[in-house]
Amino acid sequence: MSALAITGEGSLTGGRPAPGGTDRRRRSSTAGWLLFPSLTLVLAGLILPLALMARTSVAHFDAASPDLVGFTLENYARFFGEPFYLTILARTLLVALSCTAICLVLGVPAAFVISRVESRTLKTALILATIIPLLMGNAVRAAGWMVLLADKGLINSALLSAGLITEPVRILYTGSAVVIGLIAVLLPFMIISLQSVFEGIGDAYEEAAQTMGAPPWTAFFRVTLPLAMPGIFSGCLLCFVLAMNAYATPVLIGGPSFQMMAPKVFEQAIKVYNWPFAATIALVLMAVTLALSVASSLALQKRYGAL
Amino acid sequence: MAVSRTSSVRATTAGSFRPVMIGGCILAFVMVLAPLAAIVWVSFFENKIISFPPTGYTLDWYRAAAAMPQFRDGFVTSLKLGVVATLVSMFVGVPAALVLARGRFSGREAIQSLLLAPLIVPGIVAGAALYMFLIEVELASGVQVAMTFWGLAIAHSLIALPWTVRLITASLIGLDPQLKEAALTMGARPFTAFRLVTWPLIRPGVVAGALFAFIASFVDLEKSLFLVGPGVTTLPIVIVNYLEWSIDPTIAAVATVQIAIISAGLVVTDRYFKLARAF
Repeated sequence: MSALAITGEGSLTGGRPAPGGTDRRRRSSTAGWLLFPSLTLVLAGLILPLALMARTSVAHFDAASPDLVGFTLENYARFFGEPFYLTILARTLLVALSCTAICLVLGVPAAFVISRVESRTLKTALILATIIPLLMGNAVRAAGWMVLLADKGLINSALLSAGLITEPVRILYTGSAVVIGLIAVLLPFMIISLQSVFEGIGDAYEEAAQTMGAPPWTAFFRVTLPLAMPGIFSGCLLCFVLAMNAYATPVLIGGPSFQMMAPKVFEQAIKVYNWPFAATIALVLMAVTLALSVASSLALQKRYGAL
Repeated sequence: MAVSRTSSVRATTAGSFRPVMIGGCILAFVMVLAPLAAIVWVSFFENKIISFPPTGYTLDWYRAAAAMPQFRDGFVTSLKLGVVATLVSMFVGVPAALVLARGRFSGREAIQSLLLAPLIVPGIVAGAALYMFLIEVELASGVQVAMTFWGLAIAHSLIALPWTVRLITASLIGLDPQLKEAALTMGARPFTAFRLVTWPLIRPGVVAGALFAFIASFVDLEKSLFLVGPGVTTLPIVIVNYLEWSIDPTIAAVATVQIAIISAGLVVTDRYFKLARAF
């Protein structure tokens, strides 16, 4: 087997002329031309705008003119000085962390079952049932939750007619509605990240552990889950980042009083027209998300080794 | 005695493993699918004000939604944007994928993360940044791009790019260069070798890349939010604007049409390219 691999490799490199200096130079110049359009698009459409945004965040706000004037930290001072904005940041963090935790608890069994289902049809169906909602867009799902959670929605109507409650419970336009809505949005990302990892681990390790006397729960928590740690981490990170930046769900089912960071960026940029402050909120959001992601990945690396 | 007790404890916890896992799985899928099922159901309700159970069922709301210009225009704009974004992302993404698939070279990691960055930078941040940038460009040059179709087209091409680059690179890397070499050795011209050997092998990845690019563009909300203007609004934004005021069976019908289009697109994609591989 290994001999075969070596011969295969030998013929692969032996069959081609050795890359000489001119050949390599020609290759790298064509590479430059091939990469030019895509890199231009990303630089002009994303990197330069982000740089300008960083510049805007340290400009002085003047309602009368859109020009960027001055270098000042007043926008950051305002954000970190006003309890109003710090509360919004704290609320966003709290929502993102609780959504991530709940997604993990629900996503692990879902992904595990998908990866161990024997019927191919059922597996395909479950994967489609994960990926279709994942790519559905948030507006449509927010609409679904509005129908389910409203005072006259399906859940309240069902509870009322079952006699379990006497008047509708307020769910829509509360923090719990936002958490519920976000879980539905993020769970597919968690399931798909974990499913591929469980699939890759296979069931041989569990079986080995169980053969040696470990009960299924022990085998799962002591063998399978630690092996799946990289996938669990990337799934959690994805959920956390997406929850931090959620826009449609808090706006539509959180209502005007449940404010989070992403809608504030929009409000300041488009409704108040205070670009420096909008840029500041956007960059604080990105920086906090990034800092927590890096910190958690470092902490996990210490605990579990390279991820 | 002691042995039999531990084994019975073991049996009960062992017995709980499968039901708990399957129960968690069912709960997860209920959470994910319930809002979609609810909106599809409501779109057939006869009563305009949503209440349960419905007084009857009708298809009238689909006709009503189709007759409303904002939904029609939003749908057409989203469709056109999706096509433009897919074409642009293929034209610029395929050459990039060809380079990335060549294997290791210095700077490969950096280029790859740059090309995938649009997927990682949060939509709301990227959208706000692009909006401010385009307005500054307009102030400097006098050319209006923000709040026009082409401003949205830039944003949507960026949304689509990571998907085409990722999926096409993946399918090119899986390709064995010896297959094409064999065809060339046996006398095939380069184009014939590409058409008969390389293309059939990478087609699933290319088709999936294009379809994912289209869908990612079609459903985008956050990036477009800042860039839409009078006369150019995408369907998801029309839906959100409508939902901020009211929810009724008409909007449910619009949402159901979106669900149907995307589900059909993904079921077709899955036949070419196993969807689970795309993530």
